[in-house]
Amino acid sequence: MLADYRQKILAPGFFLLCLLCPALALGMENEDCLGCHDDVDLVGEGSFVAEVAFVNSAHADIGCSSCHDSISAAHPDDGLTASRPNCLDCHGDVAEEYAQTTHNENAGCSDCHDPHNVRGAAAVSGHDMNAMCVECHTADDVVDSHSEWLPQANLHIGMVPCVTCHTASEDVIISLYITHKKENIETGALDLADHGELAALAGSDDVQDLVDTNRDDYISIAELRMFNRNPANKNVQLLGMMTPASVSHDITTLDNRWDCSFCHVSGPGAMQTSYVSLAQPDGSFKRVPAEQGAVLDALFGTPDFYMVGATRSKTMNYLGLAIIAGGLVLPIGHGSLRFLTRKNRRKSEDKS
Amino acid sequence: MSETKKIYLQPTPVRIWHWLNAFGIVTLIVTGVQIRFPEHIVIFDSYRSAILLHNTAGLVVAVSFSLWFFYYGFVARNMAKLYIPNKEDLQHGLTRQAKFYLLTYFLGWKNPHHPTPQNKFNPMQKSAYLAIMFVLVPLISLTGIALTNVAFLRDFVVMIGGLKILMSIHFLLACSLCAFLFTHVYLATLGHTFFAYFKPMWTGWEEIPDDQQPHEHSAS
Repeated sequence: MLADYRQKILAPGFFLLCLLCPALALGMENEDCLGCHDDVDLVGEGSFVAEVAFVNSAHADIGCSSCHDSISAAHPDDGLTASRPNCLDCHGDVAEEYAQTTHNENAGCSDCHDPHNVRGAAAVSGHDMNAMCVECHTADDVVDSHSEWLPQANLHIGMVPCVTCHTASEDVIISLYITHKKENIETGALDLADHGELAALAGSDDVQDLVDTNRDDYISIAELRMFNRNPANKNVQLLGMMTPASVSHDITTLDNRWDCSFCHVSGPGAMQTSYVSLAQPDGSFKRVPAEQGAVLDALFGTPDFYMVGATRSKTMNYLGLAIIAGGLVLPIGHGSLRFLTRKNRRKSEDKS
Repeated sequence: MSETKKIYLQPTPVRIWHWLNAFGIVTLIVTGVQIRFPEHIVIFDSYRSAILLHNTAGLVVAVSFSLWFFYYGFVARNMAKLYIPNKEDLQHGLTRQAKFYLLTYFLGWKNPHHPTPQNKFNPMQKSAYLAIMFVLVPLISLTGIALTNVAFLRDFVVMIGGLKILMSIHFLLACSLCAFLFTHVYLATLGHTFFAYFKPMWTGWEEIPDDQQPHEHSAS
């Protein structure tokens, strides 16, 4: 969704801004601001902006002065404090959608989003999506309230970000993350491996090498198997989260999310599309598409991702069927011969 | 008319255990089918109730298995004698019994095995039950318990090789138990009458017609 805004509004807006206000746009560059504001000791926590996060953020493109338009080249000597930006200037329709929800009464934009560290939905891990929610809704409370009706609530919450069920985003996709094998037992939360750890495993800064061995920006099941079978990767695993296909700010729970069968009945069809999301140096994630049906692969494709009902493997179904059919061989075969030879037993009974 | 002799073959705890197991396993199979193929097979109202029932039935069967183990191992103390094939069974009994089921049964011959409370299973039954009760059922129960406590038993799941492998083991073993069930029920109809082998599992007493009682030589 944010990526859409970047394309639809922000990029042309930035272009216009550059045309109309060259003095403002060029007068104060991001680097000038970050020269001071990246130093927490100098500006204090309230005005601190982490440079690494900001320069990779979607908002970096529009520049500091687009939002903080009261700042002049004379800052900070002019004594003017920065104006508070109004998110609605650009994100009007998001705000309109959000305003109609009760959540709006409890949290404003910046309560959930850090404007200096914003990314498109694809670049945010499911784990980080939940980080916004747990600021108010503690993990323990969430597990407790879901346990009242949801079997294995901690597992579900660990694998499904809040927004997958509690927003009006209809469709879901499977995002696979490289995580440590140990996870938080109480909350089931995944413990994602960071970029440094992945780089060490990959032997290069480009962590895509770790899974996408032929570098074609596409991860085949063969590549996933290779990753899972590599003894060097024994302490990590690929775990999947069910994330929304698009992000909505309509914070409502769709009726179908109360029904287990929304996810568990969707079956192999809906489980075809998946991505491997890889941690990047700036904390964002790069999403690389995986081969169709990767999460349905019987054994080594994604051995740790299993959703009862939904990710069953066809191979296993056929094997199971063959076993059950094997059990019918004796009753049917023996039973038929028994029927054909029934006279022999009658004779033998008569004799006795 | 031949005289019928009655022997007390199945003590009450064994019968209770057997029917608890039977009811539990059938419930597990029916709910298991819905859990695996939810879009095709809807027997119970909601998926959630199928899962809760499956978990409960699994627990009942696991507990009943433990009680059975305790009863035969520590109360009746004849587990090894009943379930482990002896030298005679392995050398002659298995082939004798197989020959009966696959050939001489059709010729109208009598079953060479004559059950007694201390030797109620024929050599083939002993071998089959040994595999079912000491390998198959414990493995299905353990994988099932692990699947209902994935987060808590994470180390075990990782050791097995992941959730999908654990799930596949559980599924394939369950299919094997289901296959056994068909054979089990069919073989139970091979008594001197269709229901002759069902009755003792309900009343405890097996009726053995005079002509089928051992006169010269006991199979044990």
